[in-house]
Amino acid sequence: MRAPTSLPAAEQPRLPAGVGLGLRWEFLEELLEAPPLPLAFLEVSPENYMRRGGFYPEALEQVGTRYPLVTHGLTLSLGSIEAPAPEFVNELRAEIRRVKSPWHSDHLSFSRTGQRMTHELFPVAFNRNSIHRISERLKRLTDELGVPMLIENITYYMAPGSPEMPEPEFLGELLEASGAGLLLDVNNVFVNAKNHGFDALDFLRRLPLERVAEIHVAGHESSKWDLLIDSHGAPVAPSVQELLAWVLERTGPLPVLLERDNNIPPLSELIREVEELQAVYEQALGRSSGSEVAFAASP
Amino acid sequence: MQQALEAFIERVVFGAEIQVDDRAAVDELLRSLQLSEIECQALRLQLPRAVVYRQLVQSTLREAIELALPRLVQRMGGIFDEYLQKFLREAGPRTHYLRDVTAEFLDFSEPLWEADRRVPRWARDLARHEALRIEVAACRHSSFPEVPEELKLAAMVRFTESSRLMHYQYAVHELSAELSDRTEPEARPTDLLVYRSADHDVRYLELSPLAASILGNLLGHQHPLGHALSLAYAEHGVEFNEQHMQSTALLLADLAERGALLGPMPEPSQ
Repeated sequence: MRAPTSLPAAEQPRLPAGVGLGLRWEFLEELLEAPPLPLAFLEVSPENYMRRGGFYPEALEQVGTRYPLVTHGLTLSLGSIEAPAPEFVNELRAEIRRVKSPWHSDHLSFSRTGQRMTHELFPVAFNRNSIHRISERLKRLTDELGVPMLIENITYYMAPGSPEMPEPEFLGELLEASGAGLLLDVNNVFVNAKNHGFDALDFLRRLPLERVAEIHVAGHESSKWDLLIDSHGAPVAPSVQELLAWVLERTGPLPVLLERDNNIPPLSELIREVEELQAVYEQALGRSSGSEVAFAASP
Repeated sequence: MQQALEAFIERVVFGAEIQVDDRAAVDELLRSLQLSEIECQALRLQLPRAVVYRQLVQSTLREAIELALPRLVQRMGGIFDEYLQKFLREAGPRTHYLRDVTAEFLDFSEPLWEADRRVPRWARDLARHEALRIEVAACRHSSFPEVPEELKLAAMVRFTESSRLMHYQYAVHELSAELSDRTEPEARPTDLLVYRSADHDVRYLELSPLAASILGNLLGHQHPLGHALSLAYAEHGVEFNEQHMQSTALLLADLAERGALLGPMPEPSQ
């Protein structure tokens, strides 16, 4: 992990540890009208608020006065051959500043194929060329965006060619080379383990857990393709909660995010699920052998 | 490898549908990637799973467009999907913003609809009308002057960025919001001012032909107010007198009250 260059570790930007929720328009108004809810933070997709006016950016500003916000992007396409367009990066930087996000995360994937934007996440090849290309891009983006970067391990349904190394080692080398932090999605690990036939715990054991700065959890569903799909359309499965607890026992307190993008239930139901995850979180920390992991990369 | 992966995904997701058991088609695809035999074999094994992405991507994009154009999609039925496939194959989305995919689809499709007799004549009007709901709602903020200023005949007029003057050949704005409704819109040239109110609602104001000409000269051609009025009055054979000026003043005051008109355009030096 890169050493801080401007701030002592204690002053590094960070999110409150505890369980937060992905902000979705389906419950944005309800959230604004509700009394303060037990949410450690909210995560937003900046693409939904960038280059636009109207109700939603204004509402987001109000939300930001009540809850800490963090940005989690969808379309940087970190793995693509072509770098993200400078205009997009500039807009993204403005949005990150606007919501005062302590860092910005996006996926370890590519979304663009040539000039086309797929609005889907595809796995990059697990090889040294990818590590070089993506780590250089991450270092540059960290400077351009003015905040530390986190990369998220994705769910992938097809394996990206013949790998030079296993995914955990690929992730480890990439994090080391880039100085970025890891946004560890334990549901993605679970889904990939089922779909590709590996052991989720073994995968987690091989990750550099000291680089985890945030954790994602979500629900998944079976599909007609005989694959688990990372749908974000169901409650978090008990097996995924167990993986979350396993990680927290080793990392200590971290921001944990519940993502829900489909079949979104009433806000009250989501809050119940956040509270359930918070209980898992606290029990895990009670058993924890880890100390707080400070993601101390700086732009 | 990454270049080949991108080409592979682009072909599988956006190209003509590949049957995984169509050996010749699969061989041709893999040959075009110019990969080693080992990499080709690895991708060949993954093809059944890569096809899953085709459905995921296409369903995301279709949902985004249907959200913006719900009545058009229902009314066009299979013809819409035909054009969606053509759009995906020949152009595809370029934007980072899902909300902008609809505009890209329409820019691609509309010229083709002109020549397709199966596409109803009112489809373009309905598409643009429906698409405006998200476009106007998402338009960037305009800064309102702290102190309202009076309009001057010699100055241009400033509207909010969300204001749009629309000319339709069909009165599509009168169609029912019901998705199942199949009433044909009346063939009647229609001018609408579409804008976002201060409380973020998208509003529609039907205009008389004279009002549409005035606003067209102000919004589209950016003439100074006096010139814009002279041109519009001349076009409609209306005398440039106090009575008509007063009616126009009322129209502009109404637009200012609605939050569509901001005031005089600041002088370049200001």
